[in-house]
Amino acid sequence: MTFILFILSNLLRQKIRTGLTVLGISIGITTVVALGIFVNSAKAATEELILAGGADFTVAEAGVADMTFSSLTTEDLALLETYDEIEHVSGVELAISKVGANAYFFQIGIDAGDLPFFDAPLVEGRLFGADATDEIMIGDRAADQLDAGIGGTVEIRDIPFTVVGIYDTGTTSLDAGAILPLAAVQEYDSREGLVTLAYVTVRDGTDIDALTDRIKAENEGLATLAGIDDVGAVDQGIEILDAVNLGITILAVFIGGIAVMNTMAMAVFERTREFGILRALGWRTRRILQMVLGESLLLCLFAAVFGSILAVILTQLIVLFPTVSAFITPQYTLDVFLRGLAVGIGVALLGAIYPAFRAARLSPAQAIRYE
Amino acid sequence: MSEQPDIVIDVQDLVKTYDEGRTRALDGANFQVRRGEFVSITGPSGCGKSTLLHAIAALERPDSGTIRVNGEEITAKRDLSSYRAQGIGLIFQLHNLLPNLTASENVQVPMYETKRSTGARRERAEELLRLVGLGDKVKKRPTQLSGGERQRVAIARALANDPPIILADEPTGSLDSKASQQALDLLRDVQRGQAVTLVLVSHDSRIAAAADRTVYMLDGKIDAESTDRSPEVETDAAASRSSPVV
Repeated sequence: MTFILFILSNLLRQKIRTGLTVLGISIGITTVVALGIFVNSAKAATEELILAGGADFTVAEAGVADMTFSSLTTEDLALLETYDEIEHVSGVELAISKVGANAYFFQIGIDAGDLPFFDAPLVEGRLFGADATDEIMIGDRAADQLDAGIGGTVEIRDIPFTVVGIYDTGTTSLDAGAILPLAAVQEYDSREGLVTLAYVTVRDGTDIDALTDRIKAENEGLATLAGIDDVGAVDQGIEILDAVNLGITILAVFIGGIAVMNTMAMAVFERTREFGILRALGWRTRRILQMVLGESLLLCLFAAVFGSILAVILTQLIVLFPTVSAFITPQYTLDVFLRGLAVGIGVALLGAIYPAFRAARLSPAQAIRYE
Repeated sequence: MSEQPDIVIDVQDLVKTYDEGRTRALDGANFQVRRGEFVSITGPSGCGKSTLLHAIAALERPDSGTIRVNGEEITAKRDLSSYRAQGIGLIFQLHNLLPNLTASENVQVPMYETKRSTGARRERAEELLRLVGLGDKVKKRPTQLSGGERQRVAIARALANDPPIILADEPTGSLDSKASQQALDLLRDVQRGQAVTLVLVSHDSRIAAAADRTVYMLDGKIDAESTDRSPEVETDAAASRSSPVV
């Protein structure tokens, strides 16, 4: 019997207690992993949005609490166009409203003249017309959810729009939403002359980092977003999610640690005599430590695996809701599962250190006499 | 005494107290065992016989005095694990097998501190279980074995690392008379067959009398010695011998 199997057999002696402990820790790990999946998914969705349509970077109003609160004027757009490195600037108005079952139907208002610079491959139909105010292009996911096709009607804020094109960008929020004339969105949002963001395309060979740094330095009211790391300048949502995730992770480690400490302490107390026998038979202190820590680690490894599987199932169930699936596609990245594993290891070590040292420091003779 | 080459255990002026000195379990005990000898220690309850055995087994440190085993002073050693693992084989009164392990796995327990591979450990355990007449019960758990069989597993476990000394603390204390006799026979066969030194503690003078030499303890000291073997025990042993002869 290998030492690992020896450790496993110790865990299996108290199947119910082991099972309940694994379940308890799993719930904490499920929370951490599921939250991690959603945070990463939200980050990915945000990054997709700030680089939507193939933009090299996006410009927003600096200092706003949420990116959708940003307001850029036509003067701001004109100012951006003065930079030689910039090939094109598309001012877009973002809006969110309830359409069909989707309470957060995402809309991008863009000028028809900017559509050639906005990469939204059509799978059916055509782009909306230059002077059209009642035409709309919808994403393929939106078409499925709304059961709408070319020639059909989609009502946004009680205004009917005729579907003229269906596109597939691969961006979740865009494909579950719509692209429509800028003027129409500005009108129902009562924001004539204003846009939310400016999608910027640069000329070949441009150093994007240097350009965005220059724009920020020369224009105090503007923020440039070239990736997810820049989003904090215009949106604290991601940072808040990150902080919540970290808080829950720490909490999970402590709560899980106490659960494991309870289980391992009980196991050590119950097996006091056994530890004495092992010491009497020549087991070193280090091997006793390895055994108790090994039991704890194995316990938490099971919990990490089980918790991660539960988290995947849970996130798959949550994205069945159109409201959620309209915004994010779950991102099952390795870092999230590694975090779950790290929580498991942290819980195992935190919970087992005291019981392990207690077991290792038992006097063999006293332990053998223990009843 | 320690200069004599055939002395393997040499206990000098051993003192061990408990309860902050109020209980004097060993009070200047002196005791020697020769190589290959079968010595029993007997005496009334509380006389210090188990404490003496535990001290020789390095399970407890004495307050004063010395214990030399094969010329090495174990009372001066810091790490006694290797001595416990390979210098001695221990047998307890209540067999003390691990309930979640099979007979074979229990015998393998002391071998984890050696460099034997998993396969070599298993082979050695099965060899020892055959030696104690349990070759057909290697996969049985302690709960599936009788009291006598459990003690045989414990004897096999004590032999796991080929120790030169076997220390047995009331090895027949929890067994009925027939099983006691069988365990005693086995121990004596092992002692002779494997040429090991056997020190056995028993409160039962009849069991103790089966040894080559019996040491009587009283109030933490060696009180008397006898080399007379009980003919009754010898006869019983021969009659009830059922385990394979080593």
